Amino acid sequence: MIRLALPTGDLRTPVATLLSEAGLASEEYGAGSRALRLALPGREDVLMRVFREKDLPVQVALGNYDLGICSAVWVEELQSRYPYEDVTVLRPLPLGHGRLVAAVHPDTRARIGPLSDWSSVPGLRIVSEFPAIAERFARRLRLPRATVHGLWGGAEAYPPEDADIAILPARGDTSPQGLHTVATLMEMPALLIGNRRALAGHDLSALLGPLLTAGGEVAGTALRLPRAGSVAARPAPSREPVAERETVRLAIPDGHAQRHTWAALQQAGIVFDGYEEKRSDRRPATTIPGLEVKVIRPQDMPAQVALGAFDLAITGRDWLMDHLWAFPGSPVAEAVDLGRSRYGIVAAVSEDVPADTLAEAVTYWRETGRQSIRVASEYPNVADHFARTHHLGRYQVIPVNGASEAFVPDDSEILIEGTETGSSFRANRLKGIARVFESTNCVIRSTRPVQGQRADLLERLLTRLHEGALQPAG
Amino acid sequence: MTITAPSSRLRGMRDLLPADMARFRTIERAFRDELLGWGYDEVRTPTIEALHLFTSAGTLSPQLLDRVYSFLDWDGWTGERVVLRPDSTIPMTRLYSEQYPAGAKLCYVQNIFRFAQGDQPRELWQCGAEVVGDTWPSGDVELIAAASGVLNRLGITGFEVQLSHTGIMRALLAHAGFAPDERADHYDRLLDGDREAMRALEERLPRSLPLHLLFDARGTGAGYLANLRAAFLGDIPEMSTPLDELETVTRALEQAGYTLELDAALARDFEYYTGPVFRFARGGVSLGAGGRYDTLVQDSAGMPVPACGFALYMERIGALLPAMDGEEQIALQIVAEYESDASLGAALAAAQRLRGNGLRAGLAAFASDNPSGRRLIVRGPDAVTPYELRDSDMGPSTPVSDLDELVRMIGGEA
Repeated sequence: MIRLALPTGDLRTPVATLLSEAGLASEEYGAGSRALRLALPGREDVLMRVFREKDLPVQVALGNYDLGICSAVWVEELQSRYPYEDVTVLRPLPLGHGRLVAAVHPDTRARIGPLSDWSSVPGLRIVSEFPAIAERFARRLRLPRATVHGLWGGAEAYPPEDADIAILPARGDTSPQGLHTVATLMEMPALLIGNRRALAGHDLSALLGPLLTAGGEVAGTALRLPRAGSVAARPAPSREPVAERETVRLAIPDGHAQRHTWAALQQAGIVFDGYEEKRSDRRPATTIPGLEVKVIRPQDMPAQVALGAFDLAITGRDWLMDHLWAFPGSPVAEAVDLGRSRYGIVAAVSEDVPADTLAEAVTYWRETGRQSIRVASEYPNVADHFARTHHLGRYQVIPVNGASEAFVPDDSEILIEGTETGSSFRANRLKGIARVFESTNCVIRSTRPVQGQRADLLERLLTRLHEGALQPAG
Repeated sequence: MTITAPSSRLRGMRDLLPADMARFRTIERAFRDELLGWGYDEVRTPTIEALHLFTSAGTLSPQLLDRVYSFLDWDGWTGERVVLRPDSTIPMTRLYSEQYPAGAKLCYVQNIFRFAQGDQPRELWQCGAEVVGDTWPSGDVELIAAASGVLNRLGITGFEVQLSHTGIMRALLAHAGFAPDERADHYDRLLDGDREAMRALEERLPRSLPLHLLFDARGTGAGYLANLRAAFLGDIPEMSTPLDELETVTRALEQAGYTLELDAALARDFEYYTGPVFRFARGGVSLGAGGRYDTLVQDSAGMPVPACGFALYMERIGALLPAMDGEEQIALQIVAEYESDASLGAALAAAQRLRGNGLRAGLAAFASDNPSGRRLIVRGPDAVTPYELRDSDMGPSTPVSDLDELVRMIGGEA
């Protein structure tokens, strides 16, 4: 059996074209398809599986898949964190585009100077979807006391208020919106990657041959980290202390959560210009004096509220719990249950596991020779807490960023996932075996003390949202 | 038949068994006796420190930084990472600037953690000492003498004291036109014997400079330093101060009877040393190293405070010590024969009495399967023979009537 991991998302269409060219076309893969396990007609010895790009190199490194295709930046991210992983780059592919850049807001640039000066600026805040690359960037530049905040996305929304430097993809020669590019760290073509042990020991030639030659030649890529300059000390960028801020800052989500958030705001009689059911600006306008609104990913909100960047945020209880199980003392708490977007966070196993309880399932896995129980989840800290407190013994948490239902049974024993009706579980032959908690969308707030006018506005907003949540949904 | 289960011990981690601990304590004892004798005080820093202590320029090299164990702690929501101590000198400099702004002489025995591939050790034990304050050059020569003293106490012979100065190579690389941030990399490549690096260096320097005098020759005393002066000062006057400093230390140690080996290209960790550096080696294996790092410690006003230190590598030194079997005196096993309350209490009282007399004695189960060990059978105070001493299961037994008699019988052997 040869196992090939393929990307979902933007690369899906160009990769499907490349596979056709290589004589490896699967009807179920391509634009618009949602299939996660693919068959290759006439080739029973080939298994193809679709992953989010971020998860794909991890699966190849683990040896669950022999070959994979994904953007160079995710391979670099994995290798930056785990340089000794068993993943090797076989060739760059003539698809995928863009560059990974370090960018700053023009205001920040005026304060902290050019990149060669940054080694003497203490406390710079870096945001990125690629935190391991960002850590290396900070170390290589010797940035004193820099902090790196890993994000699920939307890094361009953070500078200048909520970050000094963003490390993010840029298209073509342009800078990310509103930002100034200070360094290009790498090009981002798609790569064909392989598991070192599989390449050393298994005959993969049936796939390897066509994949190594399909498409045209293309230049390789490598991470280029700038080096520290040596200059006189510069002061830290002045930053308004959270306690002295006069505005209340509210974060609201984009993506799946947007519709429910918009409805909850409507119910509370709060309208933002530029935040609708299906469309949003990064910085929606408000007529409420003293209020600032920004749209970011719901997954990133608990950490941002804890840092003091926002006073309030509307996110899911799932993301709050995932944050608090990693950082129990974090100064963020649930303030209002908005009651929408309701789903159970459930531990699910394959329907084929002959067990009705988790304990029975664990016994079954141990008896059938599994040394380590793999728990896949979009909520790695929830999964870790679950595995610890349910005495799973030796276990591995496999962080997942999507396309998660297909992880069980090949790539994990347990999936911890939100489910509204259980239909997606049934469609993927999964069964819930333990309920972890119930998630709804909620308002979270900083537990730091707030005084004066800002405290009044905060309380007024919370009251309105609370009263709105009590009304029957209309 | 014994079935050996696969070990759950992590790669690169090591259990210290009794024989290892005996070696460890022997080194620790020799180290403490020597260093406390020179007036150092012992301290220990925490296992977990803030990562930022180790990331500024002039601290850990980029290669080492890529091998630290760093993570977000349970209160790491601020994004500030912590690290399992990858080095002891930098935590010591933090301790100095917080506790001893006026300077001090401190020593430590502690472990460090660095990722290593395969089965190479990832946890290493070091014993080291640091002097902080205005101690040039007395601190440098004292540390070399103290570290040598530790090795002498342990009976290790035939080790070399190697001496160098980072300023020599720094001046050379600066003269060759390498930018400050390129110098450490290039220097490491030269030490690794990289021919390309050597060629690049040669191309940038006047042909008249005899580079082999720096890279291939090893000096034995002040004469070698005089030769370096003659060869290099004309072109590179910046080498003058390093050579002067090296001579000061060399002359003092030679006068006190030390045999030295001078090597211009010696020190790793180029970034944090600023002055003379030294290494103790035996058969090509480094047993410890140290040097002067005048920019690492800063006072409360952010001004650099001169400092100097060394660390000895305990695993490597332990490997040179003779085999040890743990504690030499084998413990007497005290067995309550009937396991009644009375005999168990009497056995405990006997153990306490013997231990009070400085003997090793502990309780053992009746069926304990160590027939070679010496055993005391305790039957309880009301028994006809309350105690019975047996050299082994099969050997003869000697009745003992009370604890005073027992102490007389075996106490004399202690």
